[in-house]
Amino acid sequence: MKSLFLSLLLVSILFMNSFSEVRGRKWKGEGTTQNLESIFIGRCYDYIRIVNPAVGEKNCSELWEAFRNAFINKDPCNILPKDYELFIKLAFHTIPANKSLFWENNQLLVKSFTSGARRYMSLSDALFGFVADFLIWCGQANSTGLDYESCPTMEECENNAVDSFWRMASITYAQHSSGVIHVLLNGSAEGGAYPVKGFFADYEIPNLQKDKISKIVIWVVDDIQGPDRDSCGKNTVKILEDRLKALGYDVTCTDNYKPVLFLLCVDYPDDSNCILSSSAPPAQRRPISSDRGGSWNKLMFVSLVGFLFRSASEY
Amino acid sequence: MPGSRRRQRGVLLAGIALLLAALVLAVVLASVFMPGREAAGGRPLRWQDRGTTRNLREIVLGRCYSYLAERHPALGDTDCLKIWESLKYTFIYKNPCNTTAEDYQPLMELASHPIPCNKSLFWSKTNDLAHRYTKSSHSFLTLEDTLLGYMFDGVSWCGDPSAPGINYESCPKRSECESNPGSVFWKTASKRFAEAACGVVQVMLNGSIEAGAFRSSSIFGSIEIFNLNPDKVSEIQIWLMHDIGGPQSESCSGHSIQRLKRILEERNFTITCEDDYRPVQLLQCVRNPDHEDCRLCPSSMETP
Repeated sequence: MKSLFLSLLLVSILFMNSFSEVRGRKWKGEGTTQNLESIFIGRCYDYIRIVNPAVGEKNCSELWEAFRNAFINKDPCNILPKDYELFIKLAFHTIPANKSLFWENNQLLVKSFTSGARRYMSLSDALFGFVADFLIWCGQANSTGLDYESCPTMEECENNAVDSFWRMASITYAQHSSGVIHVLLNGSAEGGAYPVKGFFADYEIPNLQKDKISKIVIWVVDDIQGPDRDSCGKNTVKILEDRLKALGYDVTCTDNYKPVLFLLCVDYPDDSNCILSSSAPPAQRRPISSDRGGSWNKLMFVSLVGFLFRSASEY
Repeated sequence: MPGSRRRQRGVLLAGIALLLAALVLAVVLASVFMPGREAAGGRPLRWQDRGTTRNLREIVLGRCYSYLAERHPALGDTDCLKIWESLKYTFIYKNPCNTTAEDYQPLMELASHPIPCNKSLFWSKTNDLAHRYTKSSHSFLTLEDTLLGYMFDGVSWCGDPSAPGINYESCPKRSECESNPGSVFWKTASKRFAEAACGVVQVMLNGSIEAGAFRSSSIFGSIEIFNLNPDKVSEIQIWLMHDIGGPQSESCSGHSIQRLKRILEERNFTITCEDDYRPVQLLQCVRNPDHEDCRLCPSSMETP
C-alpha cells in the first residue's frame, strides 16, 4: 500500500517536473528584458555622451562584460553583491555633494522629481544605476545564456542577480554621498514611511560616511487623497530619526515638502490640497473670441460695482 | 665596349624611373596627410554646428529597444536594426546640404505607431516645461514621446563625401543650409505628428516671451498647424503659460493668439485658450515653491 502511494507520488512529481519544463518557467518572476545588452550599452553611451558628459569617457562594452560576468553561467540564486564589484569600479563616478536623494516607496515620483533638473542625483541618475533602471535579468547554471522565460523573485531566493545588483549599487551610492543628504519617504505607505527592513535601512544607512555628511534632511510626503499614515516625529519616521540621531547625524524632517507636493498635485489640480490662492475658481475654458482677461477683469468689475455702491450709499 | 654602355644607360633609366616614382608617391602622401585640406578623400567638410553624436548607433538602438520594453506591447514587431540602417542610408557619404523629406520616408514608416486621440501635445518655446509635464503626468504625448522622437531627441548626425562617410566633427547649421539632416528630419517628423493627431489636441505656448507666444516662423506655426486634419481633430486647446514671476507679455486675448485663431478658424477648427493651465502651473511651482504665485490655500495637509 505504502509503496503504491510512494510510486504514485513519484510519478506525479515527475509529471509535474516535465510539465513545468514544457511550460519553460523555472521561476515566478518575469524573465530577462528582451535586448538587454543593446539597451544596457545604449543607455551607457546615452549617459556619457548626452545625459551627463561630465563623467568622462567610459568603455561601455567593457562595462557590459563586467556586468554580465557577475551572473552568467551561475546558479541564479547564488549571485552576491560583490560579484558586481568590477562593474561598479568601471562605472563609477563621483556623486556631487549635496545632491544625493534616497527614497522608499515612491520610485516613479523620484524619477519625475529629479528628471531634467541637475538639482538632485538619485541612484538612477548615476551611471551605475541609470544603465539598469527598471530592467530584469538572470542567467542559469551550466549555460552562458540569459533566461528570458523567468527569473527568481526575492521570495524564491534573496541572492538573485537583480537584488544583489541593487544592493551593491546602493552600498556604493551611500558610501560616496556627501554634504546634505535628502531622503524622500511616502507618508501613505502601508507598513510605514520608513521600512525598517529595506534598501535604505539595510544597505544605505550603514554605508553613509559620517565624516562626509553635514546634515540629513527627511521629507515625508503623503499621496494626494492618500491616508496620512506616517509623519515627522511619529511611528516609523520617529524610528528613523532616532536611529540617525543615535548615529550622530544632524537630522531635520519636513512633512509634505512643497516642491514634491506640487509635483503630486499635477495629477490632482482640483484637490483641496492643491488649490493655489492666486488662481480663479476652476477655469472655464472658453472659446477664444471672448475676452479672456480672466481674474483681472473680474477684479475690475467687482471694484467698479463696489465703487458705485459706495457712491450710491454716500449720496 | 657596346654591352657595358647599354647596361649603364639601362641603370640610368631605371634610376630616373625610380626617382619619378618616389616623387609621385611623395605628392600623393602629402595630399593625404597635409592638414587643413578639405577635398573628398581628405578631411570632412567643416561646418558650424556640433558633429554627429559619437556611438549614435548604440544610442539609437538602445533607445529603440528601451521604448519597446517600457511602453507599447502593440509595437511588438518594430525592427530596431532596420530603423537604424534606414537612418544610416539617409546621410552616410552624402553631402549634408542635400537632404530631402523623401529621404526620411522609409525610416518614418518603420518607426510610426498609432497615437491615441486627445493626447497629442504640441509645443512652441516651452521645450523644458512641456516635456517635464508629459514625463510627470503621462496623460499627453509630445513628438519626443513617440518612438521616432524619443530615439533622436538631443542627438545630431550628418554625412560627408569622404570616408568614413560620417562627419563627427561638425554638421551644418540652418543658416549654412536649410536642407541639413537634422532640420529636415524634425520638420518631416513634425508634419507626420500633426497629420496623425486626432480628437482634442493641445498646444503649450509661452506667454512670457517678448516676440509673441505664436510665431509663424516656428515649426508649430509653419508646419504643424497646416498639417492638422480638420476631419480628425475636433478642437485645439491652447495653454498659454507664463514664467512664474515672469513677464505677462501676452495673454489669451493677445495679438499673436488672435492671429493663430484666425489661421485655425479658416481651416474649420474650434479653438479655446486658457492662461496658465493649472496642472502645468503646479509643475512650474515645483521649482518656485516660495513664490507668491505658488502660495497654496490652507488645507488639512499643511502642518499647523
